[in-house]
Amino acid sequence: MTPQSRLLNPETQHRLHPTGRLIALLGGLLLVVSPFLAWAYSSAALDDMTVYGYPSPIQFFCLALGVILLGLVAASWRVKGGRFQVGWVRGAKAAGTGVLIFMILIIGVIALELGGLVNVLWGGWIAFLGAIAAFIGTRLMAAEDRLPTLERATLPAWLEILAIAVVMGAVLFAAAYALNLDDGGGFVIFLTFVGTVIAVMLRIGAMGWFSAVSRRHRQVLILAAFVVAFAFPFTQQGSDANMSIATQVIIFAATAMGLNIVVGLAGLLDLGYIAFLGAGAFTAAILSESAFSTVDWHPPFIVTILISGGVAATLGLIIGSPTLRVSGDYLAIVTLAFGEIFRITMNNLDGTDGPLLTNGSNGIPGIPGFNLFGFEFDDPHTVLGIPLGRFSNYYFLLLIFLAFVILVFTRLNNSRIGRGWVAIREDEKAAEAMGVNTFGLKLFAFASGAFLAGMAGAIKAHADISVTPDQFVFLESAFLLAAIVLGGMGTVLGVLVGATLLKLLPEKLRFVSEYRLLAFGLLLILMMRFRPEGLIPSQRRQLEFHEEDEELAERIEEEVEETGALKGAGAL
Amino acid sequence: MEFLQQLVNGLSLGALYALIAVGYTVVYGIIQLINFAHGEVFMIGAFGALSTWLIIGSANDNLSLWLLPVMLLGGAIASVGVALLMERYAYRPLRNAPRLAPLITAIGVSIFLQELVRLFYGEVPGFPDAKRAIPFPQIDYVTGPAINVGGLVIQRAALFTLIALVICSIILFIFINRSRLGRAMQATSQDPDTSRLMGINVDRIIMLAFAIGAALAAVAGLAWGLRYTNIDFRMGFVAGLKAFTAAVLGGIGNIAGAVVGGLVIGVVEAMATAYIPGRFGGSAWKDVWAFVILILVLVFRPQGLLGSRVVDRA
Repeated sequence: MTPQSRLLNPETQHRLHPTGRLIALLGGLLLVVSPFLAWAYSSAALDDMTVYGYPSPIQFFCLALGVILLGLVAASWRVKGGRFQVGWVRGAKAAGTGVLIFMILIIGVIALELGGLVNVLWGGWIAFLGAIAAFIGTRLMAAEDRLPTLERATLPAWLEILAIAVVMGAVLFAAAYALNLDDGGGFVIFLTFVGTVIAVMLRIGAMGWFSAVSRRHRQVLILAAFVVAFAFPFTQQGSDANMSIATQVIIFAATAMGLNIVVGLAGLLDLGYIAFLGAGAFTAAILSESAFSTVDWHPPFIVTILISGGVAATLGLIIGSPTLRVSGDYLAIVTLAFGEIFRITMNNLDGTDGPLLTNGSNGIPGIPGFNLFGFEFDDPHTVLGIPLGRFSNYYFLLLIFLAFVILVFTRLNNSRIGRGWVAIREDEKAAEAMGVNTFGLKLFAFASGAFLAGMAGAIKAHADISVTPDQFVFLESAFLLAAIVLGGMGTVLGVLVGATLLKLLPEKLRFVSEYRLLAFGLLLILMMRFRPEGLIPSQRRQLEFHEEDEELAERIEEEVEETGALKGAGAL
Repeated sequence: MEFLQQLVNGLSLGALYALIAVGYTVVYGIIQLINFAHGEVFMIGAFGALSTWLIIGSANDNLSLWLLPVMLLGGAIASVGVALLMERYAYRPLRNAPRLAPLITAIGVSIFLQELVRLFYGEVPGFPDAKRAIPFPQIDYVTGPAINVGGLVIQRAALFTLIALVICSIILFIFINRSRLGRAMQATSQDPDTSRLMGINVDRIIMLAFAIGAALAAVAGLAWGLRYTNIDFRMGFVAGLKAFTAAVLGGIGNIAGAVVGGLVIGVVEAMATAYIPGRFGGSAWKDVWAFVILILVLVFRPQGLLGSRVVDRA
C-alpha cells in the first residue's frame, strides 16, 4: 500500500475517475502546447528555451511526455486491449508522476543557473501547471482491477524482431545523446525522461511483453545488443573524450561481471577483488615495452593477457585455499586484508624497501599500445569515412572481452557447476551432504573470478597507459560490489546497468563528486535494507531474499510453469 | 635491552588492538556478525573525545588531568550512540537475511561513517576541518616526557594504554561473570532461543554487546589520539582490520582471546619491524605482518589460540 492509495482509496477513485481524466487531459494538453512557448529569459540555462514556436530538445522531451500522457489517458477511455489486459491507467499514473519530477527539475535548474525563479518565463509555468494537473488528474483516476497481461501477446516473428531492433536503436540513441550532454542538470533531466518512459512501459505491461519477446528471440536480442554497442563509437565523430569514458565504463562493467561470478553466483564476498585487477595490470605493465618496465621479456599481446590472468588466478588460489575451508565471513576480511597487502607490496617493490619490480608509488608509466596482428591500438583509424580515435580501438577490444566474460558467466551459471553454487549459497552443509564438492567449487569460483579480473587488468594497463598502486585501493573494490548490489546479484543485465550508472553518474555529475562516497555508503545500506535483490533481480535471488513472501513465490511458480524453466533466473 | 624495549612498544601497541578487538568478539559471540564497521566506531570515539575537549577544554587551554575522564565520557557517548543507531537501523532489520546482506551493509556503514566525518565534522562551528589529520590535545601526565626505567624508555601514553586495558579487562571480566546482565549475555551467546524462553530480552543483550564494544573502542580512540598525537577519519580502517585479526587469532567470540590476540599482534608487529633483516624489515612493511598472521591462523588453527566457544557456522 502506497501512501497515495491509502489517501485515495479505490472507492473515491472510482467516483472521481471522470474528473481525474478531465484534469489529466487538460494537463496533457498544456504539456503539448507549452514546448512551443519560451520557458526561460536566457539561453544560458540548459539548452535554448527562449524561442517561441520551436521546441528545444529538452522542451521536445516535455512534448513527448505530454503526447504519451494524452495517448494513455485517451486509450484508457476507449481502447480495450482485446484478449489482453493493458495497464493504460497504471501507465498514465507513472507518466503523471514522472512528468511532475521532470518539470520540477527543469524549473529548479533554470532557477539555480540563472539565479532565481523570475527567470522562468510564463511558458515554463504553463508547462509546470500542466505537469501538476497531469499528476493530480492521474492520481484521481482508478487503476485497472487486474494486472496487465500483455506479456502473453504474440506477434508475427518479424514484427517482434523489428520491435527488438527499434528498442535497441532507441538505447543507442539515448546513450549517445546522454554522453554528449555536458552539463549535469541536463543529464539528470534526460535521465528522468528515460526513467519515466521505462516506468510507463513497465506499468502498461509493455516491458513484460518485451522481456517475453526477448526470451523468444534470445539470439536476436544478443546480436542486436552487440551491434548497437559496436555502432556506438561511430556516433561520436572521432571524439575521444566520450570514448574514454565509455572505455572506463566497460572495464568497470567487465570487472564487475567477473566479481559477479564470485559474489553473485557462488555467494562468496570478495572485498579485495581490485587486487586481482591490479595484479593483472602490473603483470601486463611489467611485461610491456614501457621504458620503465623492469623485466627484459616482452611477449606479444595474447601471451601477456594470459599470463596476467594466470598470475591473478594463482594469487586467488593462494588466498582462497586457506580461507575457503572456514566460515564464509572470514573470506570477506581476508580478501580485504589481501587487498591491503597487495597495495602495500606494490608500493614497496621499488628497489629500496624490496626488490625492484613496480617502481613503488610511481608505478609504470608510458605503456605502449597493444599490437594485435599488426593492428596498432594506439593509432586512430578511419572506417567508412568515420574517424575513430585511440580509445575506440580499446573500446572494441573491451567489448569483445566483455562478451567473453558474459559468455563465461552464463555458461557457468547454467551448468552443473552453477547449480552446485546455488546449493552452496542456500545451504552449504546440505550441499556437502548431497555430494557437492563445496571446497572445490568455491575455490574454482574464486580462481576463475581472479583470472577474468587479471585479464581485464592487462587491457586496462594498456588502455590507461600507466599503472600505479593507488589505482587499486579498497574503495574501488567497494564500488565494484556496489555495482553488483545495485543492479542485482547474479544477473547479467542488472550488473551491466549498475556498473554503467555507477561509473557514468560521477563523470556527468561533477558538482556532487564530493558527496559521491557518502551516497555510495548510503546506497549499500538502503539497498540491503529495502531491495537486497537489486534493481533488476533474478527471480531466484528475489526468492532467496524474501523467503516469507508467499505471494512472490506463487507468482514466480506460475511463471515457471508457463515458460517451462527458471529461464529468467540466471541471465537475461 | 633492545628486545625488552621492542616488547614494551609491542605490548602497548597491542593493548590498543586488544581494546578494539573486544568489540568484534563480543558482537560476534552473540549474533555471529562480523561488525565490519567497528573500526569506524573506534574512529568516532576518538573524534568524540576530541570534540569534548574542543567544547569544554580548549577555551582556556586547560590541559589538566581531570579532562581525561571527561573526554573519555564524551568519546564513549559518541561511539556508543553511533553503535546503537547502527545496530538498530542497519543490522537489526537484516537479522534473518542471508549472510551476505549484513556484511555488505557493514561496508556501507563503514564508508558512510568515514565520509560523514570527513565532510561534515569541519562544518560544525569551532571544529577543525577533518579532511586532513587533526592534532589531538596533549595532556600533561599522560603525554609528558617519557619515563626512563633503567635504560628502558616508556612513553607515558603507552603506559596509559596498558593501564587502561588492564582496568577495562578487569571491569569487563567482573561484569560478564558476576552481574545478572553479564550472565544473560553468556546465556544468549550459547543459545539465543532458549535464553529468550528463559525471559532474557535478546534484543537488549545484542544492544548491550554493541555498547560494550563501542565503549572500549572509545577508550582505544582516546589512547590512540594521545599516543600518535593526531587523528584522522581513515584511522579506523587499518586499525579495525588488525583488531579483527587479533580477535580471530585469540578465537573469535572469546573475550580473553581477543585481549591475548591483540597483545600478540602488537608484539609481532613491533618485533617484525625491528628484527626482520634486509629489505623486508622496517616500517614500510609493518602493516603487512598482522595480515600474514591472519592467513596463517586460518590455515593452521582456525579456532584461534584460546579456541572459541561459538560453533563454526560455515
